[in-house]
Amino acid sequence: MKKFFYSKKIAPYVFICPFVITVLLFWLVPICNGVLLSFQDVLKEQWVGFDNYSRLLTDTIFLKALWNSFKYMVGTLLLLIPFPLLFASLLNSKLMKKADIFKSIYFIPALTSVVVAGTIFRLMYGEASTSLFNQILGYFGVGPIKWLKGAGTSFFALLLLACWRWTGVNILYFLAGLQSIPSELYEAASIDGASKWQQFKKISMPLVKPTTVYVLTISIYAGLSMFIESNMLFKGNNSPNNIGLTIVGYLYRQGVEKRALGYACAVGFILLFVVMAVNILQLKITGTFEEGRE
Amino acid sequence: MNKQGSEKVHSSRERKRYASVALIILFSILALLITLPIWVMFVASFKPGGDLLQYGLNLDINVSRMNLDNYVLLFTGQHEYWKWFFNSICLTVITVLSTLIISAFVGYGFAAYEFKGKKFLFLLVLLILSIPLEVVMLPLYKQMSAWKMMDSFTAVVLPFVAHASTIFFFRQYLVSIPQSLLEAGRIDGATEYGIFFRLIIPLMKPAFSAMAILNGMNAWNNYLWPLLVIRSSEKYPLTLGLNTLINPYGDNYSLLVVGSVFSVIPIFILFVAFQKYFIEGMMAGAVKG
Amino acid sequence: MKKRGLAALLCAVLAASTIAGCSSATGNSASTEKGVSSAGKKAMEVGGDNVTTLNVWTFIELHQDFYVSMAEKWNEAHPDKKVKLVLSNMPYDDMHNKLSLALESGEGAPDIVDIELGKFPAYMVGKIGLMELNDVIAPYKDKIVKSRLDIYSKDGKEYGLPTHVGTTVAFYNEKLLNDAGINYKDIKTWDQFKEAGVKYHEATGKYFSCVETSAQWMVNLMLAQKGGDYIDKDGKLNIASKEMEEVLEYIKGMQETGAFATIPGGQPDNEEAYPLYNSGDYAVQIMPFWQTSRFVNYMTDIKKQVAIAPVPVFNENDGEVATIGGGGTGTAIIKSGKNAQLAAEVMAFIKLSEESNKEVWNVLGFDPVNTSVWNDTSLTQNPDNKFIQYFTNYPFDTLLKTKDSIGILQAYTDEKYPSINNEFCNVTLNSIFEDGMDVKEALLQSQQTLSNEFKEK
Repeated sequence: MKKFFYSKKIAPYVFICPFVITVLLFWLVPICNGVLLSFQDVLKEQWVGFDNYSRLLTDTIFLKALWNSFKYMVGTLLLLIPFPLLFASLLNSKLMKKADIFKSIYFIPALTSVVVAGTIFRLMYGEASTSLFNQILGYFGVGPIKWLKGAGTSFFALLLLACWRWTGVNILYFLAGLQSIPSELYEAASIDGASKWQQFKKISMPLVKPTTVYVLTISIYAGLSMFIESNMLFKGNNSPNNIGLTIVGYLYRQGVEKRALGYACAVGFILLFVVMAVNILQLKITGTFEEGRE
Repeated sequence: MNKQGSEKVHSSRERKRYASVALIILFSILALLITLPIWVMFVASFKPGGDLLQYGLNLDINVSRMNLDNYVLLFTGQHEYWKWFFNSICLTVITVLSTLIISAFVGYGFAAYEFKGKKFLFLLVLLILSIPLEVVMLPLYKQMSAWKMMDSFTAVVLPFVAHASTIFFFRQYLVSIPQSLLEAGRIDGATEYGIFFRLIIPLMKPAFSAMAILNGMNAWNNYLWPLLVIRSSEKYPLTLGLNTLINPYGDNYSLLVVGSVFSVIPIFILFVAFQKYFIEGMMAGAVKG
Repeated sequence: MKKRGLAALLCAVLAASTIAGCSSATGNSASTEKGVSSAGKKAMEVGGDNVTTLNVWTFIELHQDFYVSMAEKWNEAHPDKKVKLVLSNMPYDDMHNKLSLALESGEGAPDIVDIELGKFPAYMVGKIGLMELNDVIAPYKDKIVKSRLDIYSKDGKEYGLPTHVGTTVAFYNEKLLNDAGINYKDIKTWDQFKEAGVKYHEATGKYFSCVETSAQWMVNLMLAQKGGDYIDKDGKLNIASKEMEEVLEYIKGMQETGAFATIPGGQPDNEEAYPLYNSGDYAVQIMPFWQTSRFVNYMTDIKKQVAIAPVPVFNENDGEVATIGGGGTGTAIIKSGKNAQLAAEVMAFIKLSEESNKEVWNVLGFDPVNTSVWNDTSLTQNPDNKFIQYFTNYPFDTLLKTKDSIGILQAYTDEKYPSINNEFCNVTLNSIFEDGMDVKEALLQSQQTLSNEFKEK
């Protein structure tokens, strides 16, 4: 028995075993249950077939939540990929001294929890003319505005919070990618007379692509499943005109607040579907699939 | 070298210096912007909580209205802040230790062996990695409830000990380890597990650091899942506890703001302690496609 | 070396936290008025054998002390049925969500729970997990304001014990109004209210009263005065009714004068709004009576400036309801609890008996549901009472004037109300009063959203 356990044939399975067990217990079982639940009206204890799904497609609040999440995801991708990449390559350049200090400073926001960060930002976006963002506007002679009551301003507020928290982390991801590029490549290019910008475009960008794909993947995931940020900024899952409502916010509202567990599970699977779809599209566009095949 | 040439070298050196200064200025401005909210929070911790609600958070420093009352409240007041703080530390330590060890164990299995079903299982890792927890959150809650595991730290930690992205990271980190090293271990009479514990783990220090920071951050800041499974306030982690202060009743914002300042400290210490290895670890393990 | 220093620091923080944790744990519960109000657990100390432990969930910490002191009285009177209350306080959303989840999964619910009026109908759907309380209410029933029992009932079965009437009244900052040359006693109708507002705004440049966007205290009051409701006789949604449109148009007219404006937090009972009343930026609140406790605790700078008066009406002589009950907490018993019957008896005593209703006023400052208390002048004019001390007139004088005309909206007991409430406080009122949307359009849109949710045509 002991010999069996120690044999090289069996060992790999022993190593993998914790993963397999947790996946079975904590992913597969709940997913199956979730699928079953999504075909039920749990409160009335009835099977309703695809009713929950078809209702979702005409549920204007859900569509608004879907749109909000999608908009937020696109916004974060546009802001949190190019800029951190640019900053990282500047930080990585030989001209930059004391880069370590900056790296640590930029990482601090990620260390504050969403609860803390969201609350700070909520109070900075206060309606009073004395709260920080209105103070700044005041310097430019613009009157105080209600940041968290308008659709546009609150979208900006959410994006800014995301940028504040994640710029530093993404810089570190990109730095890790950039530092694994051999410096000889840059030297050779430099001898050939390539400008810094050309080097960035021709060497850094392509070689850091695996990192970019990774950051893209997790940003898509995080953007589409954003919930707590909005929850903290709007002091709860309710926001004026549902401007801060996200897919997960709606899932929480239905499943927890309204006890419509089946409907909430259907929301969950739509979320899963959207995340998968966007990611597959992204991997197609970036050509990661083809590379994988080679 | 003629005169013209030396001038050219000189001017290029000059240009480099300018560029260097410009970069430092750029990044200093960025650093200022990024630390601004932290500074605002720090300043606010000396202001009465009521002021925050009336005037919002701002940079004003009005010494006559500022005092240490909030800190006095934090250290001597009647509240459960330190209980939550302690819970968060416990949860973070438990999560980081268990996740790192178990995920490294699994990651090594994927990296070091060829076995039947490996391709499929590894694909499963990647798949799980991209499923948002929120999708399974409610059914998983029901399951925890049926298993009578509610309101315990186990319920918070257990479902995620074999953490897909951590496994993935460790596998990437370990995949380049030469098989000859493992063979040498076998010849020395070490068992398969002995090799992992004695030979491999010491090699993984940078990877552990990187993952300790990332997992530590997540555990310290974890909110949604504990919100569902933890019921008693004496078991709340700090995030849940601080959130309960956001209610209209009582003098809560004083504690909230000073408590927020303190909540950043432990995780910051963790970061500073490990950050030297952080980039190194990320580089070695992260994404090489 | 550097690392060791850090490790030492971390240890120090850890040690400090545990020590502080211990010291704070030994402290006991003194006054809850100042100090921190968050999640918290509290257990009664009860001697003797045969004591039944009952778990109680609340979302307002003040209720805990009240329950404890009344439970002690119960134990004195019933030595054979002693109880020990273990109370957990949680924030509003958290508590209701955790209750939903616990009822859903059939595990982890308390014995007794305070459910807020706006959420109550959500627990009346499907298999009801709450206990029917008609038996334990019966002995007190004739003295209790009936409409307050009705709001926690379904099909003649009562499921919740009310805490207060929540009579909607007007809180005028008498001093600020006098300074602007306005006597609040002259305000009898909404037109006069609006006029006074304009005059006040001209004199001071400050706002008279707020336009609600995250609550419906004034909206529901006006709606009831007009005889309207959110649902029709057959229980169908009727959001875009003529009455509702008139009410919202009227409030919009008030807003257009510039004397009335929206407020941070969206309503007077909010931590962002208290400071604005406290500083005199807004002068008047139309709120349920229990706002007294918020005044006393969170608006301390305007002590002895605020008067309580009956709310204005649309037309003085047409017999419209004078006021309605607003907000409320129904204490419910979980049916599946092992000691549900005992819990029900104890809570009926704590919430409905004359003895306890005196304390509802003394400790909490609410208008008690047992109206036999309202005429007891030793209580209602007690000079030592902090609520009496705060206001410029006797609060109960106002209550007695409206006692016999406290209306109700049918929608309060309808299972659709939590969603209606949600839609109004997030979408409808914001669209109209923040974004300037047309009233009719906003109402039709909300009607559409809600019909869709309830699959009504």
